[in-house]
Amino acid sequence: MTANPVAANPAPEGLDLDRVRALLLDSATVGLAVAAGADGPILLCNEAFQALFPAPAEGDLRLVDIVPGTAEPAVRERLLAGDRHTAEVEVKLGRRRLVIAVEISPAIGHADGELMIQCQNVSKLKELEYMIDSYSKMIERQNRDLAKEKDRVERLLLNIMPRRVYEEWREFGITTPERFDEATVLLLDFVGFTEMSVAHDPPKLIAELHDIVTSFDRIVEEFGCERLKTIGDAYLAASGLPEPNPEHARNIARAALRLVRYLERRNAISEVRWHCRIGISSRPVIGSVVGTQKYVYDIFGPGVNLASRLEPLCGPMQILLDERTHQLLAGELPCTSLGTQTIRGFGEQHVYRLEGATGSERP
Amino acid sequence: MATIFQRYGGFAVISRIVLSFYDRVLDSDQLAPYFEHVDMPVLIDHQTKFIAYLTGGPATISDEALRIAHANRGIDRPAFEEMRRLLAETLEEHGLEPADLEAVMAEIDKRAGLVVTR
Repeated sequence: MTANPVAANPAPEGLDLDRVRALLLDSATVGLAVAAGADGPILLCNEAFQALFPAPAEGDLRLVDIVPGTAEPAVRERLLAGDRHTAEVEVKLGRRRLVIAVEISPAIGHADGELMIQCQNVSKLKELEYMIDSYSKMIERQNRDLAKEKDRVERLLLNIMPRRVYEEWREFGITTPERFDEATVLLLDFVGFTEMSVAHDPPKLIAELHDIVTSFDRIVEEFGCERLKTIGDAYLAASGLPEPNPEHARNIARAALRLVRYLERRNAISEVRWHCRIGISSRPVIGSVVGTQKYVYDIFGPGVNLASRLEPLCGPMQILLDERTHQLLAGELPCTSLGTQTIRGFGEQHVYRLEGATGSERP
Repeated sequence: MATIFQRYGGFAVISRIVLSFYDRVLDSDQLAPYFEHVDMPVLIDHQTKFIAYLTGGPATISDEALRIAHANRGIDRPAFEEMRRLLAETLEEHGLEPADLEAVMAEIDKRAGLVVTR
């Protein structure tokens, strides 16, 4: 209704232009009307407008009755200046309460201050808007919960596999076994564990092991090593995998000394005394996630086997190294040769004791 | 197996169903008075989530919430039956297979006790 399209073209012969205009007006689903100013009566309106704003039984229907805001001086000024004014009003139509968007603009020419009114039922739009709003909030909330859950799962998975392996597993759904020639493995076990009286008091035992393993984890991490698992009272850690680390032997040796020192300090003040044995080997290992339902990252191979066979040869609080670890330490940490020993699966092996732990002072 | 919610097109379809359901409800002489003073956008939103929930969608409306929402509405059995009839009609019109329609209505019926208070 902003322009008169019918008037723009010459009317064909015999066509009643007024009738066409009236038909056009009434077939519009938008309510249309012209008011003689904000206080003046509605001069002209179409059927859609009438349905929304029926004329009162007595007197005239005025624009201010429909949009009370038009009584405000600021709105009047804007309209006089030729600007539009928009408002939303609520209308009761039968049993339904409708939201009507009203747009008021000066009528074309507006010589007499006449105002053009367009009304649209936006109830459905309002309902949809509300719904979209409410769903986005719901989805956002669910996304937040999901992210939190994902974070929790990730943290759990990082407990059972190294980050790089986890990332490969997340990306491809599988992990490929990887051989590590340059790595050092540490296996720690406790002396006389099954005979310790605490071993018969499960809650106390768990509390003790929890405390010790937590500290062990902190120590090995500090030295660039990775804890792989605990098996009962045994503790398996490695350096040089899955990320290569040229310092792997030194890292493990230093971590081993610190583990022993930690236990000594703890024993001095704790009721339960723990004595460990540590075997260290720098032989190759293979790292892989094992299992599909209950997967866990684990390492296998000569490195693990040799470390686990050196460990029982130790005295309490001692640390034994294989030949290759000793070579890699290159004299940086004091070691004592214990000569060759026959080790199952490995034959004659030169064994060294890492000095610096208190246990190394004993024969 | 995919839920009814997933198979029929998720929120997009469920919200259309609910909008058209309330069109029928407000046209019903028996039901419209119940909604005289109800904030419709809020109600339609809740109802969409409720239907989404019944059809296995990502929303949860507890029985307790349902009971509280209807506690002071004075809904009687005939009104419930009329609502049920209109919902079934709407679902059918939106192309729900008979088995799926029956499944949704069974869920609705299970909760009749929470809604009917008179």
